[in-house]
Amino acid sequence: MLGLKFMSLMRSLLVVAISFAVTGCGRNQRMDRLYAERCLGCHGSFGRGDGAVATSLPARLPDFRETVQRKSTGQIRRIISEGRGIMPGFDPALRPAEITDMVEMVRFLSREGRDVSWWEKYDTLVVAHCSVPWDLFLGYDDAPEEKRVEKP
Amino acid sequence: MLRNLKSRLGRTLFFLPFMALATLNHGFSHEPTNSKKISGPQRREVRIPIRDFRLIDQNGRSFDFKTVRDKVVVLAFAYTTCPDVCPLSTAAMREIQIALDRIERSSVYFITVTTDPEVDSPKVLALYAKRYGVDLSDWTFVTGEEAVLRGIWQNFGVRVVKKARGLVDHTSLTAVIDRTGTMRFAYYGTAPDPKVVIEDVRSLLARRSNS
Repeated sequence: MLGLKFMSLMRSLLVVAISFAVTGCGRNQRMDRLYAERCLGCHGSFGRGDGAVATSLPARLPDFRETVQRKSTGQIRRIISEGRGIMPGFDPALRPAEITDMVEMVRFLSREGRDVSWWEKYDTLVVAHCSVPWDLFLGYDDAPEEKRVEKP
Repeated sequence: MLRNLKSRLGRTLFFLPFMALATLNHGFSHEPTNSKKISGPQRREVRIPIRDFRLIDQNGRSFDFKTVRDKVVVLAFAYTTCPDVCPLSTAAMREIQIALDRIERSSVYFITVTTDPEVDSPKVLALYAKRYGVDLSDWTFVTGEEAVLRGIWQNFGVRVVKKARGLVDHTSLTAVIDRTGTMRFAYYGTAPDPKVVIEDVRSLLARRSNS
C-alpha cells in the first residue's frame, strides 16, 4: 500500500519535471514588460542589437543569439546589474527577482531562431527560480504606483 | 471497473494544474513592443537666466553652481538607469570634453544633473562617470534633495515624471550656459551633435563679455 503511494508520488514528480523540461520556466508578461521598458530601445525586439536607439550609439550592440550562449547566468547577471560601457547598470533600481527575470528574458531571446543545445533546454530548470513563488516572499507583484514628481 | 475509472479521473485532475501551467508558459511568448519614439535633436537659441543652486556631487561633497559662474557651462539632465537618450547625451558630452583643447577646457565646465535622485546616490553617480571614462577634473555629476532638484528642473524647463523605480520620463535637455549664468543654447531630443555644441561653446568663449 505504502509502495503504491510512493510510486504514485514519484510518477507525479516525473510528470511535473517533464512539464518544466519541455516548457522551461516560461517567458511571462513580467519579463516582457521589463524588457520593453529597459532594454528594447537599444537591444531591439529580438535582442539582435537593432533597437531604435542602437544606430545612434557609439558602439555596436551584440546579437544575443551569438553572445549569450557562451555566457554563464552569473556573467549575464553581472552585466545587467553593473552595466557595461554605456549600458546602464540596473542593480540600484531593480530588485534581485527583477534582474533574474531580465537574465531569463535575455536567455529566451538568445534561443530565437537557432538550434538550441540540449543542455540549454534544462537551463531554466537549473536556475529553477520561477517554480518558487518569489512574489509571495518579496511582494514583487505589487504594481509600481505611477508617481508624479512634477507637473509641467 | 468503477474504482479504476475513479482512480484515473483523480490522477487526471491532479495533473491538470501542471498541464495548464505548462500551456500558460508558452502562451505568454509574444514579442515586446515599444511605441516610444525619440525625436531628433533640436537646437534653440534662448536667453534664460539660471539661478544659483547647491547640490551634492559624485563624491558626496557639496557642489555650488556659483563656483563655475566664470565659465561656459555645458549642463545635461540624465539619470543612470536611463535606457534610451541619457547614455547618448552623456557620451556626446564626453566627446565634447575630449574635443576641446587644454586652454578651452580651462574656461569650460561640465555638469550632469540627475532626474532620479531616488536611485542616483553619489556612489551610483561615481560608478556611472567611471563607466563613461569621464575626466572629473572639470565635470561634476550632481544629485540632491528632490525638492531642490525640482526647482532646478523648473528653471531649465525640464519636465520630470517618475514611472517606476529607476524609470523616469524627462525632457531630454543639454544646455550651454554663458559666463553670466544665462542659458544661451538648448538642445532637445536625442543627444546633440558634439560638433554643433563645440561651435556654440567656442562662440561664447570668443566673446569677452556676454551681453
